[in-house]
Amino acid sequence: MDFISVSFLIFVIILVCAYFLMPDKYKWAVLLVGSYVFYGFSGIKLVVFLVFTTGVTFFSGLLLGNINEDSARHLKLHKADLTREEKKEYKNKVSSRKKRVVACAVVVNLGILIFLKYFNFIAKNINLVLVKVGFAGNIPLLKLLLPLGISFYTLQSIAYIVDLYRGKYKPDRNFFKFSLFMVYFPQIIQGPIARYDQLAHQLYVPHKFEYTRVTQGMQLILWGYMKKLILADRIAIPVNFIFDNPAPHEGFVLFLAAAGYGLQVYADFSGGMDIARGVSQILGIELVLNFERPYFAGSISEFWRRWHITLGSWMRDYVFYPLSLSKAFATLGKRTRKVFGNYIGKKLPTFLSMFIVFLLVGVWHGSSWKYVAYGLWNGIIIVSSILLEPVYEKIIEKLKINTECFSWRFFQMARTFILCSFGRFFSRGKTCLTAIDMFKRALAYPNPWVFFNGTFLNLGLSYKDYYVIFISILVFLVVGIMQEKGIHIREKIAEQNLYFRWMIYIGAVVAVLIYGSYGSGYSASEFIYQQF
Amino acid sequence: MKEKLLEILKDLRAEVEFEKETKLIDDGILDSFDIVTLVAELNAEFDIEINVMDLEPDNFNTVNAMLELIEKLQEEG
Repeated sequence: MDFISVSFLIFVIILVCAYFLMPDKYKWAVLLVGSYVFYGFSGIKLVVFLVFTTGVTFFSGLLLGNINEDSARHLKLHKADLTREEKKEYKNKVSSRKKRVVACAVVVNLGILIFLKYFNFIAKNINLVLVKVGFAGNIPLLKLLLPLGISFYTLQSIAYIVDLYRGKYKPDRNFFKFSLFMVYFPQIIQGPIARYDQLAHQLYVPHKFEYTRVTQGMQLILWGYMKKLILADRIAIPVNFIFDNPAPHEGFVLFLAAAGYGLQVYADFSGGMDIARGVSQILGIELVLNFERPYFAGSISEFWRRWHITLGSWMRDYVFYPLSLSKAFATLGKRTRKVFGNYIGKKLPTFLSMFIVFLLVGVWHGSSWKYVAYGLWNGIIIVSSILLEPVYEKIIEKLKINTECFSWRFFQMARTFILCSFGRFFSRGKTCLTAIDMFKRALAYPNPWVFFNGTFLNLGLSYKDYYVIFISILVFLVVGIMQEKGIHIREKIAEQNLYFRWMIYIGAVVAVLIYGSYGSGYSASEFIYQQF
Repeated sequence: MKEKLLEILKDLRAEVEFEKETKLIDDGILDSFDIVTLVAELNAEFDIEINVMDLEPDNFNTVNAMLELIEKLQEEG
């Protein structure tokens, strides 16, 4: 069931009614049943994978929780008669037991994801290598179906297991409630990747019907539909046109296709998040923010702190920190310090961890070399910007540039936008080689006349469509600026009188209906991140 | 100890007035790169072992929180 469908709207209305009519004690059960019904629509056979991952995560969580409780009890009981060394030894023993549980659970959960998502990619590449060295290279490729949201719920399950290993909270002891945490329908398809301590409790406790909250939730849903249907699906038309057959295009046309794809993904993904958050808000559940106006970022690293925030923070907490603070990386740092000096020795473990993070972010998006290149592109920019920071500072000082004014911030934002857009060649290009070719041709053939000779009118959109895109971007820009300044727009709308409020609501609905870009047969295209 | 900590922090980010800030992590003043560099410095300077479990925003939002963390880890040995 797609967010952009009449069946989804009917489903939400029925679920919301059932939720608020049900006695408090069973409200969470409505969400559980509703979420499984929603997920079941994606293919009943694929539900097995989700239930299996839920089971593995739940029972390994129980095991970890029991180990935590037993060790805390033991240490408390023997507080007086254990020496510091004995305590340390006991803690180490407990830690290695917990590590075994975590390793098993992570290998199983991640193994399913890796097998289903990457088996064919790995097999194809091994076959290629085997052929090159003179072997047959006939590892068979499999017809594998990817369960909806597997890349999201697998990360969610790993976070839960590792948090329990770290003793951050107690395990869930109710399998059905825990299942709800794993399958909660607004976020199962494309996130946000929730942490147990952020979401689970909100799902389990009953929420009362609150008029203001419900209307605010509906506004957010409407806003999400506007982003997706008016902007994302409209920009998609020329973007697909160019990326499907890039050969006849060059220069600015290629660059704008990549930049347009960046905007399309943003409107598409953040629109989906708004719908998920809006539906949750109606139910009284606050999902974490996944976007904070990424195109206002002044650097690529800031961009990644504002873009797909829950993936970034997941990578930070479960990959970047553990890697860069590991003993192996500390030893590496010490050794490189001897060879390359203090500065490089200190930075190298962090840089290496950062590269690994971005490689993982890249391949998380899909099994293709282009995603590896996408990860590397971002990693290289971030690492080089840190390495070159002293040089930049010197240049700024020499040229006496004022860094405290709007024009400097604007320059930083424009620079980030351009760098991000070039990265989009990799995430959207058909293959890695096509992406590199488009990247080169975008730079090599500057052709500003395409803005005036009608080139853009041959890409599937009319003048009217470009006006709609322009006005939409302007509206999103104004809203973004207001949000950056801390203005709560929905609260401001709520303060207005009835007539004005309803004018805005009806205007938004009409805009979605009239200006929404509906594909052939009036079926909107699916969300981009749904495929990941 | 506080003076040494402030010195390390100043080396890390000279432009930040650390003693006045109360949300160093929550407001994004220190990013994950800074944290990793800071942890390595603190471990070496105060002979402690800050591990991943200690990397909670509450432990790094203020100078005092950092001092408390250092003292706690020194006591635990």
